[in-house]
Amino acid sequence: MSILETRETTLETDPDQASRPRRDRHIFTGLRSLGTRLLSAVGVIWAAATFTFLIQSLLPGDRATLLLNQLNGQIQERTAAELAPINEKYGFTDPLIVQYFRFLGDLATGNLGTSYQLHKPVIEVIGDQIAPTIVLTFTSLLIAWAICIVVIVGTAKRNRFFSSVASGLEALAAGLPQYWLGVILLVVFALNLGLFPVVGGTGIGGLLLPALTLGIPLAGFLGQVIRTEFESGMDQPFALTARMRGMGDTGVRLRHVLRHSVLPGITLSGWALGSLFSAAVIAESIFTRPGLGKVLVTAVNSRDLPVVCGIVILVAVIYVVANLLVDVAYTLIDPRLKTS
Amino acid sequence: MKNRQPAYQPTSRSKAVKAGAVASAAALSLLLAACGGQTTSAEAGTGEKVDGGTIRYAHLQEPACVYGGWIQQAFLSRQVLDSLVSQTEDGSIVAWLAEKWKVSEDQLTWTFTLKPGLEFTDGTPLDAQAVSDNFEFWQGGGNGTVQAHIGDYYSSSRAIDATTLEVKLSEPFAPFLSALSQGYFGIQSPTALESRSEAENCESPIGSGPFTVGEWKRGQSITFNRNDAYNSAPQNAKHQGPAYVDSVVWSFIQDNTSRFGSLASGESDAIGEVPTVDFDTAKAQFDVQQFLTPGRPVTLSLNTVEGPFTDVKVRQAFAYSADRKAVVDSAFLGVVPFEGNGTVSSSTPGYNPDVAADYPFDVEKANVLLDEAGWTERSAEGTRTKDGKELEIKIVFGLNSIVTAEGATALQNLQEQVKATGFKVTLVPATQAELFSGQFSTPDSYDAQLGYWTSPHAGILYINFRQNTEKKPNPANTTFYNNAKIEDVILKANSAKTTAEANKLYGEAQQLLSDEAVAVGLYTQTSSVASNPKVKDIWLEASQGEPVFHDAYFTE
Repeated sequence: MSILETRETTLETDPDQASRPRRDRHIFTGLRSLGTRLLSAVGVIWAAATFTFLIQSLLPGDRATLLLNQLNGQIQERTAAELAPINEKYGFTDPLIVQYFRFLGDLATGNLGTSYQLHKPVIEVIGDQIAPTIVLTFTSLLIAWAICIVVIVGTAKRNRFFSSVASGLEALAAGLPQYWLGVILLVVFALNLGLFPVVGGTGIGGLLLPALTLGIPLAGFLGQVIRTEFESGMDQPFALTARMRGMGDTGVRLRHVLRHSVLPGITLSGWALGSLFSAAVIAESIFTRPGLGKVLVTAVNSRDLPVVCGIVILVAVIYVVANLLVDVAYTLIDPRLKTS
Repeated sequence: MKNRQPAYQPTSRSKAVKAGAVASAAALSLLLAACGGQTTSAEAGTGEKVDGGTIRYAHLQEPACVYGGWIQQAFLSRQVLDSLVSQTEDGSIVAWLAEKWKVSEDQLTWTFTLKPGLEFTDGTPLDAQAVSDNFEFWQGGGNGTVQAHIGDYYSSSRAIDATTLEVKLSEPFAPFLSALSQGYFGIQSPTALESRSEAENCESPIGSGPFTVGEWKRGQSITFNRNDAYNSAPQNAKHQGPAYVDSVVWSFIQDNTSRFGSLASGESDAIGEVPTVDFDTAKAQFDVQQFLTPGRPVTLSLNTVEGPFTDVKVRQAFAYSADRKAVVDSAFLGVVPFEGNGTVSSSTPGYNPDVAADYPFDVEKANVLLDEAGWTERSAEGTRTKDGKELEIKIVFGLNSIVTAEGATALQNLQEQVKATGFKVTLVPATQAELFSGQFSTPDSYDAQLGYWTSPHAGILYINFRQNTEKKPNPANTTFYNNAKIEDVILKANSAKTTAEANKLYGEAQQLLSDEAVAVGLYTQTSSVASNPKVKDIWLEASQGEPVFHDAYFTE
């Protein structure tokens, strides 16, 4: 629905506009901002799809040769006669622009195509694998928040020593490469201590280590951002007021300062959700978890264009949705935004 | 199945924690080895055979389909498909779906007698017509590797009666039976091939084998369920009739540490591709089998039509320039053997062992040859030059798809060693997509390429060295080397009357190719399996080294 249409409907359904100009303006701005958001979301997704399509199509090397060679485990040139049926089937010989519009047309009707390698619809390929990745992503995000809130509420602006050790650890955690952390966790807790299964699978027991692998570095990032805000919050007049009212230190920290200081963390979480989604492949391969990350890597390796595009579009959607959620969360946490 | 104890018990907590704290990525395997070494292996049971159970097997690579022309697919399809014949370790051929066979005097007509009364798991009769349909399916593009093996020789096939199949060849082909023994030649239900979708035939081909394809959880595992009606095991199997175990869960664990760890922690009963760093530990605690894959070894194919390697003296000098055995031994910790023969690997019937020692490490000879070839000047870095051009060698290799990390290390060792004689080697690790899309298949794209090609017979020489002509291109000839005389010897070998005669001629062809130094051997392609001692009788079949679970069983 375009902005213009929206305006017309508003006008029609509300003939008595003069009497309620204020509300109308509100609805109007609300709808307009929703429209702009939707448009920009579609723009982001279109750009992601186009970019992926072009990269995949323009990379050197012949796609039909690739498919045929992978089917046969051979690395060689192919004759035109061998390639003809494949080119015919996937339309690789059509002009790129034709292929592109066909791709966009399919996309617009929700058809992500069929995997070149698995011969299955991309929707099905993604559907089969998305659940474990979503579980992993959200668990990692929760773990990251839990770690950083406990550490910050517990240490910020308390004892100088603890505070600086904790903030040092945050910097360290933020810098930990996930592939290294993952292998260490695997070797120590799964192989040597035997506390977790080595082959994670989709069970609860197999979730914690991969989630920690992704969550610990993220906790470091979040912690660094929130700590600064939290420390300055502790010196704000509202914190002083709360104390003067006789509120205990923990109460002040949890009820006033924390709420004030998590806003930058929330912003970061929107980004983190998308980033966790793409980092999931590391945890997935170390802990042998099924999931989209692994599918994506395989698809990129074999240039399975429909699957790569499908997943990239999905990740773009997730970024967009995550950012919308962040905005909603903002208004919930910060009452000032409701009235403005 | 029940009450099986893990073969590996973790060491005491404090030690493990301490060890974990100091562990770095490089030390991990050592750490594992150290921990493993102190544990006892599987507790001694009564050793009595248990019926049923599920074997949990962990493998490295997960292909897109169960059936296809890639060795990774043969690993899977071997579990569900039977072939006409089977090859044994000594290279002889024994009965499988075909009970017996004979060949006509002119060697052009093969008559196979099939075991009577066989059925595919979808109920379609496995008769001569079904096998003939499979030949047609392969030839029609169903399997490019089948075509590479027999395409130039196969002419037609027909069912004479339900159990008698006649295959006509256009020329005598001595390795015919050997070729048929490979997983690519697994016989599928023609009904399934015709009536089912491409996706179904990709994910769960229908055969007559010991197992059927159950659920495939992509990225995780495939379950193979026992075919209770199985009655067509090859003669070299350890028993006839259905498999002992109920099912095999074939999981895909790419990470070496995790894969070996899953065996050590008891989460897997057997693993494939035992990591080289864990090989000794594995041998101490588990049953380890290693198979040297026949065919072309992992070899450097030198580009004989463009660049410095067009000169045979430069090719020979390159072969002399490195202690290739040391290069391989240090990279693979002695687990994978060096192969000096660049065209055929040591486990292939018809292998010529003399060729392997043709080019020992000899810097002096290399220098003389390079001087003779006119690469007389040296640049400031010590690289030889000719007419102002550096002696630069671009080696392309498919990292992680064709060549393992150890293989890449071997190449780095080689790169360092050949510096002394004045070669400047540039290593180009190619991604899977780059490699398979043909970017590095043309003469202008590399000076040398590292790769292997499995084959249970020395007829691989025909695949790799048949002349590449405009009329009849041979893209599998990665050296681009055309030599009518050598091709003639190979053709004679292919059409020899007896295997002995064929092997003699194959040996001759290997010598001729070695004299020309068109391919410089590095190491043998291998496959391996390590299994918990409580699981008995997993074996690696001899055509390509696929693990066979039909005879495997658990013990108390």
